[in-house]
Amino acid sequence: MDQLFCIIPAYNEEDCIVDVIREVKKVINNIIVVDDGSTDNTYNISLNEGAIVLRHIINRGQGAALRTGNEYALSKKAEIIVHFDADGQFKADEIDDLIKYIRKGEADIVLGSRFLEKKSNIPFLKKYFILPIARLINFIILGIKLTDPQSGFRALNRKAAFKIKIENDGMAHCSEILSKSFYYKFKIKEVPITVIYNNYGQKFSGGLRILKDMLINKLLN
Amino acid sequence: MIQQVLAVILIIFFLLRLSWQKKNNQISFSEFIFWLFFWIIACLAIVFIKKIDNLVSGLGFSGSGIEVLIYFSIFILFYLIFRLRLKIEKMEKNITKIVRNLAINEKEDKE
Repeated sequence: MDQLFCIIPAYNEEDCIVDVIREVKKVINNIIVVDDGSTDNTYNISLNEGAIVLRHIINRGQGAALRTGNEYALSKKAEIIVHFDADGQFKADEIDDLIKYIRKGEADIVLGSRFLEKKSNIPFLKKYFILPIARLINFIILGIKLTDPQSGFRALNRKAAFKIKIENDGMAHCSEILSKSFYYKFKIKEVPITVIYNNYGQKFSGGLRILKDMLINKLLN
Repeated sequence: MIQQVLAVILIIFFLLRLSWQKKNNQISFSEFIFWLFFWIIACLAIVFIKKIDNLVSGLGFSGSGIEVLIYFSIFILFYLIFRLRLKIEKMEKNITKIVRNLAINEKEDKE
């Protein structure tokens, strides 16, 4: 059996984290919750649910939390790493849809997409305005053409997780992971997923922040 | 003319303050040198403002010398802000690195 890890970055998610861990546990045994400086009870709740919990003493952002999880999982000889959100917007029973392509060796990185086949109740403005702009920006800045550039549901094999070192601490890591996957010429596959919008997720202002982070990072590296 | 005299008096005041700060070891040597040159250059620019006027009009600027100096200082300010941003960004990354190491070490210590 290959070593499978699920990384769940969590920031003040005490309301959702229990259900998410229980759902994921049905599919993956090794769950790493990265508590990103939560001020609520996320840390203890996750520990009680039997997850491996890493704690950032201050909030550093989702990208930073994912990288912490990646590094820990790799040190534990992870073969496949799944990134999953803590707010319950993804369905754990769809994890298998992603990792089967890695197991078969058909992909190094599998991305969950909200825009293939399956129906997600994406808010109107987001579907027809924000995400198309995100796609266009990704295409212009990074030269990437995918249906869903900002999805946080993905699976990586060891090689990809090792090579892709997330530099963007904030939300720009989604685009960064894509651009590095293309840069290293990994085999990429997109798989339809369902997304349940409990809240709006990234707002337009968040999108602008992502763009700013992407540009600054381009200057820095 | 009066403006120039006032500006020079102001600069002399800052220079005195600077030497006082240096004497009391409130600033480092390199900082002292930087501000010393800064005020001396500012003083020279004010004293020879007519020469600067001629120089900038010779270079094809439509504004007067003092205006060009202001353009120039804004340009330098922008550059310094940009440098500062990059520096902050690097510091942020280092903080993340420290936080990450603490998180992983804490976990490994418990194992």
